[in-house]
Amino acid sequence: MGEEDLHQLIRGCIKQDRKCQKMLYKAFYGFSMGICLRYTGNRDEASEVMNQGFFKVFTHIDSYDISRPFKAWLGKIMMNVSIDFYRANLKMAYTEDLDKAENISDGDLVDKNLHYNDLLVMVQKLPQAYRTVFNLFAIEGYSHEEISSMLNINIGTSKSNLHKARQKLKRMIIEADSRVNSGNYNRGIDNNNSIVAINAINMNGVFINKGIRG
Amino acid sequence: MNNKDKGLDDLFKKKLEDPVDQIGYKEEDWTALEKMLDQQKKRKGIIFWLPYIASVAALLLLFLGWWNFRPQVNRDNHHNKFQASNQPVKSNTGTNGGAIRQPVNPKQTQTPANAVNYAANTGVSAGRRNGKTGKSLSAAGSRRDTTGLQKNDLLNTPQMEALTATSHSQVTGPSSVGALPVSSIDIPQPAIRTTAIKTDMHLNKPKEAYRPQYAISVLAAPDINGVGSFQQGKVGTNFGLLFSAGLFKKISLSTGVLYSVKPYTESFQDYHTKYQFPVTPVNVTADCRMLDIPLNLGYELYNKHQSKITVGTGLSSYIMLHESYKFNYTDSYSYTTGPANYNVPGVNKYFFGVLNLNATYQRQLNSNVGISLQPYLKLPLTNLGYSQVRLQTTGVAIGVTWNFNSLAKH
Repeated sequence: MGEEDLHQLIRGCIKQDRKCQKMLYKAFYGFSMGICLRYTGNRDEASEVMNQGFFKVFTHIDSYDISRPFKAWLGKIMMNVSIDFYRANLKMAYTEDLDKAENISDGDLVDKNLHYNDLLVMVQKLPQAYRTVFNLFAIEGYSHEEISSMLNINIGTSKSNLHKARQKLKRMIIEADSRVNSGNYNRGIDNNNSIVAINAINMNGVFINKGIRG
Repeated sequence: MNNKDKGLDDLFKKKLEDPVDQIGYKEEDWTALEKMLDQQKKRKGIIFWLPYIASVAALLLLFLGWWNFRPQVNRDNHHNKFQASNQPVKSNTGTNGGAIRQPVNPKQTQTPANAVNYAANTGVSAGRRNGKTGKSLSAAGSRRDTTGLQKNDLLNTPQMEALTATSHSQVTGPSSVGALPVSSIDIPQPAIRTTAIKTDMHLNKPKEAYRPQYAISVLAAPDINGVGSFQQGKVGTNFGLLFSAGLFKKISLSTGVLYSVKPYTESFQDYHTKYQFPVTPVNVTADCRMLDIPLNLGYELYNKHQSKITVGTGLSSYIMLHESYKFNYTDSYSYTTGPANYNVPGVNKYFFGVLNLNATYQRQLNSNVGISLQPYLKLPLTNLGYSQVRLQTTGVAIGVTWNFNSLAKH
């Protein structure tokens, strides 16, 4: 979509024109869903979160600064609603016996022939606390300091969650690799999970989601 | 961070960062968003109208309050003034017969009969004074006589009648007044009093008619609930409080809160849900508990001998407090595969989704308390509940009504 077309759509959205809203929605559906899928456990959750994001977009679009890139603004909103989703859902978190993971040899992960869907399923399988920190650090590129203030957790918790997320992902990659090699499609249920209260320091404090940061 | 970790992060970043082509568009997602946007628009609309509705309601309350508690003294005074200025004139014409004609033809004042009448019109004090100090009054009387007669000749207006009457009484002078017995002078007094009382009573009547009536009712009602028809109807119960205010002579507005228990049975075709049932149930038994908030207008058809018949209509809002569904299957095997029941979480609200039609017979036991019998029908305007059914209700409410106004009067 050209710059001028996009601006025209945005102008239509400012006037609350339903056709323009739908066109914008369709144009950025894949991009927005791609973000929300990474932060949620499945497609249903992702579409719900994404719609929350678009709802914010359409109700606050008059505050969008047209001189700045729209995609970045939209991406930020999607990330913020995903964090809202994390905060709304995260009362309990899963932690695991990571002994096995600690011993996993790193290997050459990049060479594995893994596609988008394989990797997405792995991220979605992560406990939400790990998944959110991994997304923010590895994919969005935030520092632990920033993540700790965004999620209202300790820097140590952020680092620990990232480490655990990586260990789990590594194990999943190795498992996927061995399944491909052996042809064994048994999905296997992980019985090592135990539910404990989250390690976050203060869940009452609220990370202020400004929602419309450019 | 070591390089291996970076490799892992990069792998995910590269593949997951912008996977536009990997994700297929789903129309149902847009439909869900469109619904959210529509709801927000509706809410915005309500918010837009809210200040106006609130202002109108506040003005209405203010007006009703003023109407009910406005100072009664001033109004009575006003009428008394009116009475004071007009009534004596009328009483003069009535009791004395020909006083009005008097100014037209002043010569008639010379007849003794009229002279007595005029003396009576002057009132007690004047008469008594005349009796006591005959001489001085006669002088004053004769002096006033000329001016009075002159005035009578010139001014033949009703406003001047009182004045002319007074003058003429003095025209007759001490001879006629002095000869009158005291009792005859006192005659007009009761006459004036009775007219005054009569007019007071007459004025009270319209005041009663426009006084707004406030009443509170306690209601209990057994009713039958059904979806589509009452064939599979089940009996529910309601109880609550209603407040009513008479807006005009025959129109009243009522609102309140009723706690309703509405059990009903619906065929599975009427049960709407996204959930895919592994086995289709025969029917669904629902148990709903809700708050019913009605807003009704009533029109009084008949009001005599402590009996009152009113017909009413309006809208009800439902606030669902509890909603549970039990699924009934044909055989016991299905119970093991299909879900047995479903409880709807949270509180759902349906504003003005139900049309109320009712007729009320009310019997006043005394000025404060009355009993009422109200057959009613509630028809759905929108789909209600989790399963989106058209639930209709019919029943008879029995109530005790307590009248505010009668208390305020005493």
